[in-house]
Amino acid sequence: MNDPASVSQPIASTGNDIVDLSATDPLRTCNPRFYSRIISSEEKTLYDQWGELTFDNYVWLLWSIKESVYKYTSRTDTGLIFAPLNIPVLQLTAPAGDGFYKSMVIYGSEILYSRSIITNRLIVTVVCNDENFDRTWWGFRSVEQTAYADQSASVRTFALGKLHSALSRADLRIEKTTAGYPILLDGIGRLDIPLSLAHHGHFVAYSYRLPSSAEEPLREGGQAVPASRSSILKLAVLFPNNSLYKKSAAN
Amino acid sequence: MDRRNILEELKKVLYPYTENKELLQNINDDTNLVKDLKINSANLVDIIIDAEAKYNIEIDFDSAEKIITVGNCIDAIAEKIK
Repeated sequence: MNDPASVSQPIASTGNDIVDLSATDPLRTCNPRFYSRIISSEEKTLYDQWGELTFDNYVWLLWSIKESVYKYTSRTDTGLIFAPLNIPVLQLTAPAGDGFYKSMVIYGSEILYSRSIITNRLIVTVVCNDENFDRTWWGFRSVEQTAYADQSASVRTFALGKLHSALSRADLRIEKTTAGYPILLDGIGRLDIPLSLAHHGHFVAYSYRLPSSAEEPLREGGQAVPASRSSILKLAVLFPNNSLYKKSAAN
Repeated sequence: MDRRNILEELKKVLYPYTENKELLQNINDDTNLVKDLKINSANLVDIIIDAEAKYNIEIDFDSAEKIITVGNCIDAIAEKIK
């Protein structure tokens, strides 16, 4: 079996984050000493002109976007330090029919896009380098237990359940690299399906990205793993539109 | 105040954000706040703000970005109170 830490870097990535708003302190969030460590003066100006959200939700939305960008990027740059002020959100739009807050971030040499859902209980975000998110799947749900170990187990079970269905495979498992990001493996080794997990308070979330040819998910190193066409059809059924995410939230 | 004293005071700052309080008894410079103490990344700013209030200092943004371990925290505080 491949050593998860020894294989080459993935060719694509995914990053996500979730914020349980009940675990945040709105008063503290709105204190300049706090928010100035998350959003820049330019991003504060963007809010003043935009005014779509309460300010504390805006701060946590940008936190969620920046954390997702960090996760996306740190998969290929494992020495990266999370520095929110170094991840500028250049463009932010309110939902227009599809329910997503959308942003664009230029970070390093990458142009990344985010989609976020905001409810009165949570903010959940996913980031990828494809504006249409064609091959990125994501979901979130509530959990009863908030202890770290319980959250960690719940998010893995949740993500694996979706991946088992999506890929029509039961031999999948999730491990963590020494660099700290999750990877997906089967009985032989690591699969080239970048995966991101998040948990906070009463919520857990996952995102993953399928290879360019979803019918032939590539193993790290280029070995093809055939997948049946039926699994692709299942994907279409499972993820027809964003109703999936709203349904997951009610689980 | 030497590093050992700062460490003891830092444990009080970390306490509300650390789920398993027993882990705080054996922390050292190499203890990673997120990976070892399982502190949620969303609380890292809280820790900086609380440390600033406790020592009446202001930790600059560059130092704050480097706070990954307990040792980084002590460095940032020691730099400001010396």
